[in-house]
Amino acid sequence: MIDTDLSLAALIGFGPDGWGWALMSGAVLTLAVALAAMAIGSVLGGVLAAMQASRRPWLVWIAATYGLVLRGVPELLVVLLLYFGTPELMAAVASLFGLPAPGSPPAFLTGSIAIGLVSAAYQAEVFRGGMLAVPHGQIEAAMAAGMGPATRLRRVILPQVLHHVLPPLGNIWQFNLKDSALVSITGLAELMRVSLVAAGSTRRPFVFFAAAMVLYLIMTSASSALFRLLERRGARWSKR
Amino acid sequence: MTAPVLSAKGITKSFGGRAVLKGIDLDAHRGDVVSILGGSGSGKSTFLRCLNLLEMPDAGTIEITGTRAPLVHDRQGKARIDNPKALGALRAKTAMVFQNFNLWSHMTVLDNIVAAPVHVHGTPRAQAVERAHALLEKVGMTGFAAHWPMQLSGGQQQRVAIARALATDPDLMLFDEPTSALDPERVREVLDLMRALAGEGRTMLIVTHEMAFAREVSSHVVHVRDGVIESMGPPAVMFGADASPVFRGFLSPH
Amino acid sequence: MDFFATTALGLIAAIPVTLLLFVASAIGSSLIAGGLVAAQQSRITRPIAQAWIFVFRGTPLLLQIFMVYYGLAALGPIRHGWLWPAFREPLFCAWLAMTCCCSAYIAEVLRGALTAIPKGQIEAALACGMGRWTRLRRVIMPQMLRLALPSYGNELVMMIKSTSLASSITVLDVTGVASQVIAHSYRTLEVFCLAAAVYLCMTAALTALLRRIERSLAPAGSRRA
Repeated sequence: MIDTDLSLAALIGFGPDGWGWALMSGAVLTLAVALAAMAIGSVLGGVLAAMQASRRPWLVWIAATYGLVLRGVPELLVVLLLYFGTPELMAAVASLFGLPAPGSPPAFLTGSIAIGLVSAAYQAEVFRGGMLAVPHGQIEAAMAAGMGPATRLRRVILPQVLHHVLPPLGNIWQFNLKDSALVSITGLAELMRVSLVAAGSTRRPFVFFAAAMVLYLIMTSASSALFRLLERRGARWSKR
Repeated sequence: MTAPVLSAKGITKSFGGRAVLKGIDLDAHRGDVVSILGGSGSGKSTFLRCLNLLEMPDAGTIEITGTRAPLVHDRQGKARIDNPKALGALRAKTAMVFQNFNLWSHMTVLDNIVAAPVHVHGTPRAQAVERAHALLEKVGMTGFAAHWPMQLSGGQQQRVAIARALATDPDLMLFDEPTSALDPERVREVLDLMRALAGEGRTMLIVTHEMAFAREVSSHVVHVRDGVIESMGPPAVMFGADASPVFRGFLSPH
Repeated sequence: MDFFATTALGLIAAIPVTLLLFVASAIGSSLIAGGLVAAQQSRITRPIAQAWIFVFRGTPLLLQIFMVYYGLAALGPIRHGWLWPAFREPLFCAWLAMTCCCSAYIAEVLRGALTAIPKGQIEAALACGMGRWTRLRRVIMPQMLRLALPSYGNELVMMIKSTSLASSITVLDVTGVASQVIAHSYRTLEVFCLAAAVYLCMTAALTALLRRIERSLAPAGSRRA
């Protein structure tokens, strides 16, 4: 289908030959991957931060090593590891039980987990910084007032940590959005992949890559506006 | 003689091999205002912080109006809390005013004051808010309820901190050098407030360097030196000719 | 163990490609970043710089690489221009995309460092009568570079990792070799560990070098404890 005569509007539009819907659904999938990765990264990052704050040296070591490795290795390698490695792992486990090799897990899963694993390493650093930013005296005041550990966490520690981690988490979110493009190598039809397929199919790469860039720009700028809003709302009580 | 509000016996504490408290016994009865004086490194602040278990003593017992501190010591001598609920109950009976105020910076003045009553003692919020406004008036901070700690001066923050301490109607109030971080003009305001509280019959333990205040307001003065109580007694004695020579030596530069 | 050895050798042999791409991108992007910061100082050129930074920070590098390699190649002027031999080369396209992309991030780092210079330093320079260029050369630039160094170092580390994206347009850097081996063998984990080790060595070496530079640049007397 080498329709190089189609007009620009028809190509990226929503008509019968247009790739408009495909691009849109790609963008939605991009958001979904980024959100999933952010969620995985937050949970795992929180665990890693807690591990590094614990008193057990082996826990601290594991968390520190995880952070070092996953921040020092290209994200693309991690995606490759999960994309190719998971089916191999599943096949190996299956053969242990004498079962036939199952297929590969859904690309969305391996993709978002891969980005999530990397995101966790960065989020752990952010959480650690956030925890250190709560003045110890205020935690003592909470203890002196009779607040138990759970109440202290909820009423004093968490609100202040959240305020400090919001800006850097905004950055990490942006990186998740952009790193989701790496998941395209798994074949998942997120925005990068859709634009690639469209470019190859219509032999009009410039048009579709430009369209994809516009869509990414919309997503990233909307995100920074959102985070700026959230930061401003939470900053009433601090000097920032 | 009624039971003491505070009964601390044999409080011992070391930091990294260095013995800071070497066995302190202290009782306080209702309405007592006890000033704890001493040089830096004498252990006076550490002792105060042991009473609400911000520091855990290596040995000794603490009882506040009948509630015992749930301290156990394992074989290596390390202290542990064996009953978190009892710890909460103990701390609920005390209130502490810190040298650096330690107001919660993410809460307004009002929220700072109602936080403990509502979230620790279960007081209904409306009731706590009403009491908070009354306390703000008492400490001279009417109209500041919606302010943030960041917007207040040191003296103002400390007065709010005192209101916060009063909000739970504690059996025992602990003051850890409450005026040491204040400008000289502000020191007066806070001391006057504390004087008023003493006049109302509050049971107060105050670690301070303010000798005049200690002399005029306390019911008892305790001199801590090298981790033990060197001498103690009513101000008339401690600041008079019959005081121990060591204490008089401590006082002389003041 | 033969597989390990062959793979390891193959990966190590690809290090020069990664390093070449990295160094070339670092130089290119730093120069452009300097230009961007300079452009931000003038009211006329600032919108251009802001637009550049907005686009290159707001879109994925992978997309930018594809845009340069496939997208620009479809445009007439490029295809028939005198730079075409360069644009045909994947390595050149990867370098171009990385240079443009990283220049935006480095420009932000420099801008942050610029605003972090204590006002008093500039006031002192004004007060003793320094002219514009002298001020720039003697006070502003040295302080800006010193303040920017930690974040700039971070950007460099990210740049080494970003070189891996060149593998997506057939460049045989470390990741390119690794993905080839992974696709042929079924030993993903081992290849990943080897490739990860290679990258970790590179980033560790870079970080150590940066720390050395940071230490030697610290003003005398600031190294107290």
